[in-house]
Amino acid sequence: MDTSTINSKNIAYPPGGILLWIIIFLELFTFGAALVAMALYSNDEPEIFHQSKLLLNTTFGAINTIFLLTSGFFMAKSVENFKENKIEKATFFLKLTMVGGVLFLLLKSVEYYFKLQAGLTIGYNTFFSFYWMLTLFHVIHVVVGLVILLFNYVGFKRKSTLNLEDFEASAAFWHMCDLIWLLLFPVIYLLF
Amino acid sequence: MRKNLLLIVWLVLIMLTICTALVSNSTLVTKVAVTFILVLAAIKFILVANFFMEMKKAHSFWKFSIIFYLIIVMGTLLFILK
Repeated sequence: MDTSTINSKNIAYPPGGILLWIIIFLELFTFGAALVAMALYSNDEPEIFHQSKLLLNTTFGAINTIFLLTSGFFMAKSVENFKENKIEKATFFLKLTMVGGVLFLLLKSVEYYFKLQAGLTIGYNTFFSFYWMLTLFHVIHVVVGLVILLFNYVGFKRKSTLNLEDFEASAAFWHMCDLIWLLLFPVIYLLF
Repeated sequence: MRKNLLLIVWLVLIMLTICTALVSNSTLVTKVAVTFILVLAAIKFILVANFFMEMKKAHSFWKFSIIFYLIIVMGTLLFILK
């Protein structure tokens, strides 16, 4: 394992790599624009948006926030241990990171099930069109993130040549999922 | 202290999440509650970026880009939401 450190102070080498950060900012601006669009539409139908928001389960949303934040903590611990060449501990924390992601997806599935049972589909009204598009798009990112983490985990287990740059890039993508949720949850679940 | 820094940041993030939930359930005047919730979200965003993603060690350009992004998005949301 190549755990040699990178000079993050260099503008071309932010933690995770410049390409990942270009992707992260593109994603953040995409989600940000969608949330702004949602807010704009809410001004046309404030009562519908408010009543629709009340149909969401904010407890589920808060628990999912805690799942992702905790998963992010474990991801950071995993990277920290990787840098100290403590690969077994890094692997352990990586496993916990993935558990957090899986728990998020499980609770999201339960939430989606209840919504579908109640007939609150993507075409129900404007609020739920945004709800489904934004949260499903985020779920896809979480799934992709989990696949990336799984590749890292398999690499750790096989003691294959994994370098810090690749691992930090994978971690940055995972944290991006957390960053997006930190914007989605308050806007969709709390503000209208 | 340095060893436990990540743990401390995580605890702060959890507390901020609980604060957000309490504020959203309170009877605060709507615009005040909206501002408070968005500010808390921005603080959590910065904590995750700076400590979990280690952007605290990054070049200022990236740190300012994150702040700039938050100002644009949160500011626009506050302006739009009545």
